[in-house]
Amino acid sequence: MGEEEQMSQTPNLQRPMLNIQPLGGAATSNIKHRKSNIFWRILDFVLAGLFIFAGLSKICDLDHVMAHLQQLQFASALGDLRNLSLASPAEFANGIDNFKLLPWPVSVALAFYLPWLEIFCALGLVFRFLYRGALTLLIMLMLVFTLAITAAKVRGLDITCGCFGHASQHWSFPSHLATNLAILVGLLVLFFKATSRSRLRTAL
Amino acid sequence: MKFLLVRQAAIIAALALLPAAGEAIYFRDKISWRSSIAPGEMVTVDQAGGWGDTAIWVDARPDDEFASDHVPGAISLNEDRWNELLPQFLAGWSPGKKVIVYCSSLSCNASREVAHRLRKEAQLSDVFVLEGGWEAWVKKNR
Repeated sequence: MGEEEQMSQTPNLQRPMLNIQPLGGAATSNIKHRKSNIFWRILDFVLAGLFIFAGLSKICDLDHVMAHLQQLQFASALGDLRNLSLASPAEFANGIDNFKLLPWPVSVALAFYLPWLEIFCALGLVFRFLYRGALTLLIMLMLVFTLAITAAKVRGLDITCGCFGHASQHWSFPSHLATNLAILVGLLVLFFKATSRSRLRTAL
Repeated sequence: MKFLLVRQAAIIAALALLPAAGEAIYFRDKISWRSSIAPGEMVTVDQAGGWGDTAIWVDARPDDEFASDHVPGAISLNEDRWNELLPQFLAGWSPGKKVIVYCSSLSCNASREVAHRLRKEAQLSDVFVLEGGWEAWVKKNR
């Protein structure tokens, strides 16, 4: 029996075979897509965790928690979390004032406002709520922080940055800059990923 | 697209204002909106000089800067070696003595941190921060 004749008699013979390949390809693509999604979500959570920690370390006194965490005493650190006290906003206001860029009342206002802004933006990343707005704000904040520490270094100011509360007190300028740039790159990658996804959806 | 970003960012910025305002109200008596340090916690070089032997000088700068030069009689107490240096400082301190903490210049923060920790952890009351730090002291005395 010729191939053409066989096909005309059993027209669906080839169809399952033809369908298997695209289905298999779609499954592989789905797995890849899921893996890629997991990766981006992990990046979301890591960056959000950093900003939540940064914000909380300015609002609450995390010294005891950090000391216990550094000694790997997790139970004690959890115990400390129950007895958290509010940190003095004056410390962070002094940290901002040290940059000698803003008048004191503005430093005080920012000392109250910035930690909450960081936390709300981080929550935006975690819950994907106002996601791109949160990313935009965080990128702007990181740009401003990076410019401020660079300007301070250029002006020869001996500055203690309160970026991560007492945890970042003894960071050198290069480690500050490297941390800021790493965070900034992560945020930019997430932003462009989110923007390209949104464009793709619009196009579809 | 741009409008959406601005709108989202504005919503988050506005949401963050609420707890910030609450915190500002809660701390209204604990922080001054006019000056960075409460006037009673600062001391000028002239005032500190007038206290003579009734005051102890504390150098909050890093070890190498203390080693290169310091106020005569000053005790080194910095945050890098806090646990090691605090007992040495307390051995030299006696009740009733004022403590003057200084760091390198007007812009440094180490003296404020050390003064804060002395008040909080060592429960000392008469702790002052030298206005202008080491730079101001050198200008007046050298």
